[in-house]
Amino acid sequence: MAGGMTFTMIDTTKLSTAEIYGKTLCDLGKEHPEIVGLSADLAKSTKIGLFGDAFPERFFNVGIAEQNMFGMAAGMAKAGLVPYVSTFAVFTSMRGLDQVHTDICYQNLDVKMIATHAGLSFGQAGSTHHCTEDISIMRTMANMTVIVPADGWETANAVRAAYDRKGPVYIRINRGFDQVLYDRPDYGFEIGKAVTLKDGTDLTIIACGSTVWRAMQAARVLEKEDGLSIRVLNMHTVKPIDAAAIEAAVKETRRIITVEDHSIVGGLGSAVAEVAAGTGKSFSFRMLGIPDCFSIIGLHEDLMAEYGIDENGIVKSVREVMGKDFEADENWDDEV
Amino acid sequence: MALTKEEKAALEKKAYELRLLSLDTVIWAGSGHIGGALSAMDILTILYHRYMKKDPKRPDWDDRDRFICSKGHIGVGYAPVLADLGYFDRELLKDYNHTGSSLGMHLDSRKVPGVDASTGSLGHGLAIGLGMALAARVRGKDYRTFVLLGDGECDEGEVWESAMAAPFFKATKLVAIVDRNKCMIDGPTEAVMALEPFADKWRSFGWEVVEADGHDFDALAAAFDKALAAKDKPVVIVAETVKGEGIDFIEGDYRWHYGSFDADKAAKARESLARHHAKRMSGDGQKVGAASGAREA
Amino acid sequence: MADNALYASRIFLNAALPLVKVLAEEDPSLKKAFAGKAGVVQVSAVNTIPVEGDGLPRVGTHFEVADGAVKVVPGIADKADVELAFPSVEALNGFFSGKSKKLPKISGALKNPGLFLAFLRTLLAMSGALGATKAPEKPEDQARLVKLFFYLLTSGISQLNKAGHPAVSKWAKTSPDRVYALAVLGEPELAAYVRVKAGNTRAVRGVYERSKPFFTLAFDSPRSALGTLLGEDEMLAATAAGKIVMQGAPEYGAQLGEFLLLVGSLAK
Repeated sequence: MAGGMTFTMIDTTKLSTAEIYGKTLCDLGKEHPEIVGLSADLAKSTKIGLFGDAFPERFFNVGIAEQNMFGMAAGMAKAGLVPYVSTFAVFTSMRGLDQVHTDICYQNLDVKMIATHAGLSFGQAGSTHHCTEDISIMRTMANMTVIVPADGWETANAVRAAYDRKGPVYIRINRGFDQVLYDRPDYGFEIGKAVTLKDGTDLTIIACGSTVWRAMQAARVLEKEDGLSIRVLNMHTVKPIDAAAIEAAVKETRRIITVEDHSIVGGLGSAVAEVAAGTGKSFSFRMLGIPDCFSIIGLHEDLMAEYGIDENGIVKSVREVMGKDFEADENWDDEV
Repeated sequence: MALTKEEKAALEKKAYELRLLSLDTVIWAGSGHIGGALSAMDILTILYHRYMKKDPKRPDWDDRDRFICSKGHIGVGYAPVLADLGYFDRELLKDYNHTGSSLGMHLDSRKVPGVDASTGSLGHGLAIGLGMALAARVRGKDYRTFVLLGDGECDEGEVWESAMAAPFFKATKLVAIVDRNKCMIDGPTEAVMALEPFADKWRSFGWEVVEADGHDFDALAAAFDKALAAKDKPVVIVAETVKGEGIDFIEGDYRWHYGSFDADKAAKARESLARHHAKRMSGDGQKVGAASGAREA
Repeated sequence: MADNALYASRIFLNAALPLVKVLAEEDPSLKKAFAGKAGVVQVSAVNTIPVEGDGLPRVGTHFEVADGAVKVVPGIADKADVELAFPSVEALNGFFSGKSKKLPKISGALKNPGLFLAFLRTLLAMSGALGATKAPEKPEDQARLVKLFFYLLTSGISQLNKAGHPAVSKWAKTSPDRVYALAVLGEPELAAYVRVKAGNTRAVRGVYERSKPFFTLAFDSPRSALGTLLGEDEMLAATAAGKIVMQGAPEYGAQLGEFLLLVGSLAK
């Protein structure tokens, strides 16, 4: 792993989005002395180092030992602290999964996991550092809350909300250089409630994380060029998912496309399908994501384009779905 | 402080009762991890009856000492200890492992008062214990944390991650005890995955190592006293034990990691435990090594 | 203009005449008139505005009556028991729009008097209703009239698309699969919709069940519906007053409103 080098010169202008959550954690730490932080030699990369600088007595860097880290977090939570644990998503969801599952979820402890570098955001590092399976893995853990914030502000909101949320919370973010989606933090973030960024009646795009901004771009293009009325839902909480919003999308727009920086197996798309299939209504459906393969390496933006989850990919998919039938087309005679 | 004669006699009596109760629990459950329960019973007895600051009526008392049974499969031995102290109704032991019971093969911390962590997946307990010990420091609390590990369990990498971290974080008031009965499921530990030089490994990781006979209360008392007096290093007590200690026909036999007792075996087992207790009370040289398969003297 | 005559004829033949069935089923006295009657009644015209490639000498709509039930069948029947035959499409338009009083050639009336009278009465009832300038008094009459208008207008839009009306067929051609509905809040009986997709349209009676329609023009009561449909209220004012509730984007509502007016203007 590159030693602490987490940004390029171009990114420094956007650096603030990544640090927003680091600062939020510091603010939370001031308000609540029982909050502690843990990391596995990734304090700088995950920005939890900001908390560590502010509260050195309450920060524990365990070195490259994730299993011990999650076990310690469990012990701390059992003993009255609220640990925020930050490492890369691939390590949280796989290296330390037995501990997450058995020590934390099974005992339903207040451990808040901030998993960074999720999806293909660490593109050039390759599959050893990608994580396109974690939404799927984590949502099968009972007692777990799974949140995928769309930008820096939403991450800050999620970090705060996690403190009040009973039980384990898994917050999945990127390297920190997301496009800015919201212009202010008080847009109404609530765990379990999708945010309707844009209303529409032809088709609904349900997205989470870095694909939300891209969905909005796509919706604007489709509105302007194709005259389509697209609804965009930011489904930041994948578990518990906002079933009501999905049911409304099925009933009111009857076409759904999901987009995620994650495998199409078991993630947001599957979670949406589970709800939609249960409505008993017919609808067109397509899941966009990484197609059940180990990704090539590349810059995050390029990889998103490669796998069709960027603006252009979404636009293309919407156009295809709009052309598909979901009811019979044989009889065009007026009823008499 | 060394044990008085009365204290020791009381501990011997208690350990005998708990061994009987553990045997009964295995019978009520139909089968159970009797071998490892018996090898750990003296450790559990002295911990809970001499050292642990606790209140069975307030299992969540914030200032209590913590105990993590990292070798979580010995629920049939640990649950009787808690029941006997009054953490929950003894009658519940009769339903051990029955469908819907709060007591199962591996005790659930959310269901059994007195259990500080849900263990069973080996290798987790030391990390959890370390977390609790560090929490005490952050919160300015005074309690001690004890973690009981199996020796086979020490194959797990997580144990050594935690072992490396504890001295690094200068975790004090953390005492690990290894039930070194030299047996695991597929055979003796040294045949499946050799651990020796075991004590050296801990020392090299930065721990103070205290070796003791795990079936001698005087030795155990000395070990715990030493452990609790340590100031700058975490301490591990490597307790030399015998799997199945107390029931002669299973002692030192790795195949009795898990077993069941029909009426005939149960009767023989009780007789054996009675003899074992008598021998211990008379101080009759019950050194570890009395049965086959135990360590070299 | 030949084009408008074509469009008008399609509306009369395929959107208005089918309403005979609705009245025959719902008006008690007309239902009684049809009871026990059987036979084929046809309204036809010589095809003086042939559409390229259809090669039809006559255009029309016929009704198969059996056991008092009326079945509407578009087109010319092999054999008709009663027929109202117009000499030209223009003559048919003139008659149904009320501009001309010239009667069609009637055959089979003497042989099937009961059937003929039942049909004629229904036809007159229908034109009377649709030609109303003010709303009827009784609530059930108001409701029935709203229903007739809804069916007429949705079929009308669809027929204009099928006839190739420039504005309507352009709208239909570029449209993705969408459903436009007319409704009265709280009255599921008073509903009709048009499904449009890539140049095709289909008018259907009743509520669209599969999902929420892309756009619904809903009235808050049958009386409010008649207010707009009879031209008493202007749509924008009615919307502002809450008599019209648009479910869906307003710009689509404006488009739909235009088409409704278009059908109305051609049918008058």
